[in-house]
Amino acid sequence: MDNNLIIQAIITGPLLLSIFCFLWPRLAKWLALLVAMASLAGAALVFFRAATLASGLLLAGAFFTLLVTVYSFDYMKERGRQGEYYGYLLLTLGAFSSVVFAADFLMLLFAWGIMGVALYLLVGLGGPKASSAATKTLLLVGGSDALMIIGIGLVVVLTRSFQIGSVPLPTDDPLAIMAFICLAAGAFAKAGVMPLHGWIPDSAEVAPLPVMAYLPAALDKLAGIYLLFRLCTDVFSISLNSLLSNSLLAIGSFTIVAAVFAAMIQHDLKKLLSFHAVSQVGYMVVGIGTGMPLGIAGGLFHMFNHTLYKSCLFFSAGAVESKTGETDLDKLGGLARSMPWTFLATAMAALAISGVPPFNGFFSKWLIYQGLIELAPLNPYWIIFLLAAMFGSALTLASFVKVIHAVFLGQGDKTTVSVKEVSFLMLWPMLTLAGLCLLFGLVPLPLNSFIYSLTGKVDFVGGWQPLVAIIFILASLVIGWLLYLVGQVAKSQIKPVFIGGELISDEETKVSGINFYAEVRRWGWLETIFGWGEKRYFDLSNWAGQLTGLLADKLSRLQNGLLRSYLFWLAGGVVIIFFVLMK
Amino acid sequence: MNLSLPILIVAPLVGVLLFFVLPRRWPAVIGGLALLIVGACLATEITLYAFRLYNNIIVYNFGLALILDGLSHLMLVVIDGVAFFITLYSLAYFSKYSENKRFFILFFLMLAGLHGLVLVSDLLRFYLFLEVSALAAYALVAYGSGKKELEATFKYFILGELASIMILLAIAIIHATIGSTSMSEVARGYASLAPLTKAIIGCLLLGGIGTKTALFPFHWWLPDAHTAAPAPVSAMLSGVIIKILGIYALARILFNCLGASNQLLLVLGILGGLSILYGGFLANRQNDMKRLMSYSSISQIGYIVLGLSLASPLGIMGGLFHLFNHALMKPLLFLVSGAVEYQTGTRNLTELGGLRQKMPVTSLGALAGSLAISGMPPFNGFWSKLFIIIACVQAGHLWLALAAVIGSLLTMAAFLKVMQLAFFSSLKDSLARLTEAPLTMTLAMAGLALLTLLGGLFFPIIIEKLINPAAITVLNGIGYSQMITGGRL
Repeated sequence: MDNNLIIQAIITGPLLLSIFCFLWPRLAKWLALLVAMASLAGAALVFFRAATLASGLLLAGAFFTLLVTVYSFDYMKERGRQGEYYGYLLLTLGAFSSVVFAADFLMLLFAWGIMGVALYLLVGLGGPKASSAATKTLLLVGGSDALMIIGIGLVVVLTRSFQIGSVPLPTDDPLAIMAFICLAAGAFAKAGVMPLHGWIPDSAEVAPLPVMAYLPAALDKLAGIYLLFRLCTDVFSISLNSLLSNSLLAIGSFTIVAAVFAAMIQHDLKKLLSFHAVSQVGYMVVGIGTGMPLGIAGGLFHMFNHTLYKSCLFFSAGAVESKTGETDLDKLGGLARSMPWTFLATAMAALAISGVPPFNGFFSKWLIYQGLIELAPLNPYWIIFLLAAMFGSALTLASFVKVIHAVFLGQGDKTTVSVKEVSFLMLWPMLTLAGLCLLFGLVPLPLNSFIYSLTGKVDFVGGWQPLVAIIFILASLVIGWLLYLVGQVAKSQIKPVFIGGELISDEETKVSGINFYAEVRRWGWLETIFGWGEKRYFDLSNWAGQLTGLLADKLSRLQNGLLRSYLFWLAGGVVIIFFVLMK
Repeated sequence: MNLSLPILIVAPLVGVLLFFVLPRRWPAVIGGLALLIVGACLATEITLYAFRLYNNIIVYNFGLALILDGLSHLMLVVIDGVAFFITLYSLAYFSKYSENKRFFILFFLMLAGLHGLVLVSDLLRFYLFLEVSALAAYALVAYGSGKKELEATFKYFILGELASIMILLAIAIIHATIGSTSMSEVARGYASLAPLTKAIIGCLLLGGIGTKTALFPFHWWLPDAHTAAPAPVSAMLSGVIIKILGIYALARILFNCLGASNQLLLVLGILGGLSILYGGFLANRQNDMKRLMSYSSISQIGYIVLGLSLASPLGIMGGLFHLFNHALMKPLLFLVSGAVEYQTGTRNLTELGGLRQKMPVTSLGALAGSLAISGMPPFNGFWSKLFIIIACVQAGHLWLALAAVIGSLLTMAAFLKVMQLAFFSSLKDSLARLTEAPLTMTLAMAGLALLTLLGGLFFPIIIEKLINPAAITVLNGIGYSQMITGGRL
């Protein structure tokens, strides 16, 4: 079979077979598993014949569908509406594949919209409490689709073709810039770039966690950033250090820093992770925004890496939630002993997202930093973006120290400590992803197999030799361990604590971790900004809602129920039209 | 030779007579008969198409010159397609009014008027049929005969009749200056009129037809009338009446007879854009499900007019396609609101909640309708909105395109609010014993919902078979008169 045929099958197969999931809810999960495995096999075949970015995305899409399906076997077991759930998963896979291989804008927009609708319905599966988050999700994601139509219209007017990227449009006239903004808005909303990110934290709280791992963490990121990449390289040509490229860099940097600050002060594991999902997109936007081959390669690589560790983190949050029934950091603790494998996977993914070598997150961030440094002679603001990116990375690490402490290492109470490890069905996806995080850090497979062929082989300013680094890291670990043995730490003793002759219970001495960065909140101007954030000042959908209400109130005064005012409007309208027609 | 066209007008009138004769204790017989007649009309129209007979048939019968071209054919399919589902739905719905006889009498009178309206080729007869269907519509809005219904009907009646008088006045001026009311004669003679006469005719027609269409500064009757009417009537008003009395009249008279000038198109475009925004904003403010849908009708009709006003092939095609799509999704939504009210006794969104668990079919219908009207794929509304917005950009009207996009967002916000509050939120205790709506009502909703989906998936077929022939007629402008040269009337 030739590749086109397989791709067609991966697009239409899941879309058509999803119908059967709705019809036979009992068999839905097996059908989904079968389709996901078949798609993965097909995608692998396509990929090994021709390793391109598109086929890599296809492979990733099928891979995540399989992982999420397997994970959901256990996670969704107790929840109803299985037919719908697996049906929407398959719809998403078909639509995603179609987005990746869309040759013209109409097909792209159609599939793009179906992904949005499926997302809306998947978030809605969280039950009645998820209904408002689902609404917001579709308003942001679907609303930006409508904006994309204008962008497509402008591109069609300028290039006289619906083809994506027939000839790159120079972004020097206002129409082309407007077209870029409209189309980029769609990409931004899907990927969750500020200020169109509002749906991710909201739906994280209520949607089933595999849904978060599947869409906002994986497929939506892939689709959004892939579109942004194509916009910046195929559809438009953006000159370096232009207003547009600087705006991209600024939006990306702002997203990195603002979202990571928001993440630091969260008390809820799911919400914390969701803000990191927003923050990490910033890196991809910055990477692509540099316009340098190195930065773009880093941005794309980061996109793949992000899906790995972020899905893994959402999966592990789901594991924690399904065993303890809790995602509040204050109430968790001490799970490292009872859920060791989950802990291992979470720790690896946390190190990866924080950009600690030798994990993949470090590699891609390193590339992005290099891209920014290469930009130095061309763009005077490069240092701001570089600092923002590095600062964000440090804060991410800080934030995950809090997570690891609060969930796994810190003191827990009896109910949380006595839980058992999750089943293999849930562990397997997590460990696979954690393993890939390490593998891609050591051997950057996506870079070598298809990203470099897009951007051209790039030269590093600073060297990064995974093996050498590993040796250093191992050495430092060994030294640390020796110090531990030799020093006083190992000789420490656990003694009961007395205050005023009274024995204090463990509960009262607990350091829960949620207050790790409580101090950050109180830093002068930061406090004001956090206050603004909590009042939803940074959330575009909130502003739009307020404005709509205001305008609707004003306009509704016209409809006052009085026949005479209606007649007045009628007569006035006719007279005005008369004068217009007389001209 | 060809009796099918006169029969289309006569068949509903036969129905009216039969319903008069039949006793009101036989609602099932009346309903069954009604379904049969509407089904037969629909079948006739589809057969007419299937044998390619529709291509500009002209029939002279009983002193009427009837013409069936692409535009009329599209309208006939819309009328009877919607009427079929509404009849099906009404079989069960009117059990709450204890009888359905009066409803079907008025409904079929309206159908006869609408069939005549889209087939005649003479302005005066056009006006007559317009009045027949408008009068039936007033009476239908007053069906509940409560205080609110009567007040709404009164306003609808006054404004609607004022509009009719303006249209009649315009026809009178045309007759006085051109000497004929035959559409083909008017099309040939209109260009040579003095600019002042043209402006007077234009503003009267725009005001009159604009009121019938419910375009922004003339829309005032619509929210009250649609809210007060029984759900099937609202569905008919929104799905058919404002489109045939409004858009069809607009296309036929302004485009085919008067050969729409650029100023006229500009006015139409601006009114369309204003309607889109006004309807969208106000829809977001409503808590009454039906009133929300009424305002959204103003917004959607704005899209259709905006598409037509561009006078480009893509724009007209998009506008007419949106007309067809809206004729599926808005009746669907009104029928959903009717089913909700039928089962719960309220349409107030704040009193509803969690209906998804109790009324799954109705809820699926609402979801399909909401996504379709919000322009989300894979439903039909996606394509027509896409065509209209792209046509706007192509014509260089960026502001109008932006209005259309904002309107699309506002529509989505309004209908997602309905979905959230009524269907997806948690179930209210007072609704714990709720059951799904009766079978014929769910069948009608499921049928329309399926059509919105199929329309989105197989849109090229619909465009090729139904929309393009109609768009060609509109694009043809006054060239339409060539078709009926030698018309006797």
